[in-house]
Amino acid sequence: MGAPAPSATSAMDIVVELTGVCKTFRQRQRSEKLGDTLRNLIRPRFREVRALDHVDLTIRRGEIVAYAGPNGAGKSTTVKLLSSLLAPDSGTVRALGMDPVRDRARYVGRIGVLFGQRTELWWDHPVSASFEWKRVVWDIPRDRYDRALPRIREMLGLDAFFNSMARELSLGQRMRADLGMALIHEPEILFLDEPTIGLDVLAKRAMLQFIRELHDEQGLTVMLTSHDMDELEQLAGRIVLLANGRIAFDGDWTTLRREYADRRHLTLETPNARAPEFANATLVRTDGGRHEYVFDAGRVDIPALLAEAARQTEILDVETHRAPIDEVIAGIYEKLQYSSPGTSEFSPATA
Amino acid sequence: MEGKSEPNIVVRMMRLWGIAAWMDLLWVTKDLKQFVFYFGAEALLSVAAMSTTLLLAARFNGIGAWSTDQVVFMLAYSTAVMGAMETFFNFNVLEISRRIGRGQLDHVLVQPRPLWVAILTEGFCPFSGSGSLLIGLGLLAWSTSRIGIAVTTGWIALLLVSLAASCAVVLAFSYLWGSLAFWSPRGAEEVCSSSNVMLSALRPFPLDGLGPVLLGGMLTFAPIGFVGWLPARGLLGMGPSWQSAATPLAALLFGIVASFIFRKGLREYGRTGSQRYLSHGHRR
Repeated sequence: MGAPAPSATSAMDIVVELTGVCKTFRQRQRSEKLGDTLRNLIRPRFREVRALDHVDLTIRRGEIVAYAGPNGAGKSTTVKLLSSLLAPDSGTVRALGMDPVRDRARYVGRIGVLFGQRTELWWDHPVSASFEWKRVVWDIPRDRYDRALPRIREMLGLDAFFNSMARELSLGQRMRADLGMALIHEPEILFLDEPTIGLDVLAKRAMLQFIRELHDEQGLTVMLTSHDMDELEQLAGRIVLLANGRIAFDGDWTTLRREYADRRHLTLETPNARAPEFANATLVRTDGGRHEYVFDAGRVDIPALLAEAARQTEILDVETHRAPIDEVIAGIYEKLQYSSPGTSEFSPATA
Repeated sequence: MEGKSEPNIVVRMMRLWGIAAWMDLLWVTKDLKQFVFYFGAEALLSVAAMSTTLLLAARFNGIGAWSTDQVVFMLAYSTAVMGAMETFFNFNVLEISRRIGRGQLDHVLVQPRPLWVAILTEGFCPFSGSGSLLIGLGLLAWSTSRIGIAVTTGWIALLLVSLAASCAVVLAFSYLWGSLAFWSPRGAEEVCSSSNVMLSALRPFPLDGLGPVLLGGMLTFAPIGFVGWLPARGLLGMGPSWQSAATPLAALLFGIVASFIFRKGLREYGRTGSQRYLSHGHRR
């Protein structure tokens, strides 16, 4: 890796710093009607979509940060800003003490980027040729390349298809090879934009385990976006939730659950089909003598709830468990999408 | 990279040309049938591209002030220019509007090398793209010997400078048009291939005798004259000596304008991003 450029941020061990970043895109608007089509040729109508709205974010060296949010929240835009592919409309983007756009050539040599929907592999060449190409283009010293490659091949299981043409690989194989490509130059920060999209459970697990091991051994800083919250919770200690272009939450998973909703499931088994009724728990399913409820553990006292159930009927069995994180996030998304319509991409503006 | 000094830019570019050549060799040798048919088709196309003008010159014993051998020289020169473009700027580097339009510029921007270095090295295809260049250079040598030009070091230097300048004009012209794709990625995706086809189709014809307006157009808006006719006149000693300097000068001017427009387009790309690939992968 190149010597880090001297800067205030690197001295504080902050490797990514976004300050007041705004990014707006324009979308052309028109209907399918002929009159509207002709009018649009002369006076096109646009709608502004605020992808990022005064975003402040810092990431410290060695952190794994989950960057989540509903579709259109601005996740990919942020990754593109940090990969030198986009410039902000206003605000500043700094990473590794550099401006990703101005210092592009120097900066991208120290980061790894993986977009789940794209490949850096040469389509008509064996995977091995793409790695060799990367060694030369990234100017990776031979000894370091020879040291890193066997490990990446082994850990990602690339040996089985290392000499196969990229176009003949399955999606899972292609993603593993792409991840290997993103890591072969030993980047300091890894940006992963939906890296496991389309992968089966085993391929997903292998990829996450590899990233975790790499982080544990080398202190790699990782920022990843995904819609799979279980996956993000497994990997990242910190979650940044984006909604309508703004950071709606930045903290750990426990705090997220506590602040938004410590959603729990309660299942009661009773001798009869009639479900007990509670003022502070919602019945979501009932099947014979088995009744399932959801409630907010932050506001509901569980022993009191069970005592109330026992007052209403005989209880044969009780189960309680936390709601899956996907369910928690879905609830949060619903709240966030409709809580601040003024900053939403749904607010039309003409240009 | 840690503990490692930055290599000299020339050394770096040699390495990048080297890996591009290696990838090209891997591609052409993918299978024997591809290897044979590819080179056969390339040779056939190069000969076909010159045949009309060559047959005309042979039938009428020259065209205007040009003898048949001089016509062959001009054809050979322009074939070498277009062949050099195919050799050094293949892989849609010359057709930059395709890369911009299809969102493939993103792949270049995440590579740790200046964009100009990527443009000069990434499209090097000496095995799959050099058919026309070799035919052009062979014909140049043959026609030079038949015309009886005194081949001095100065003349060879002039030939090399003229060839490089003609290539620079073609590249700049292509990037001038190709930059439109920054603003209209879909509409202008194929604009480079159209502009290059125009240069290729019209390059074999001597432009002597054209009126000043038409000739001016052929040296500015569609700079066909710099691809073969004007540098060939300079190299053959036809007309005033300033003609020899015209192509390098044109290369400089076209290069400055193309660079200005391309940089402006790049800023637009930084503002809007790749417009064809959405985050979920669909092409618009």
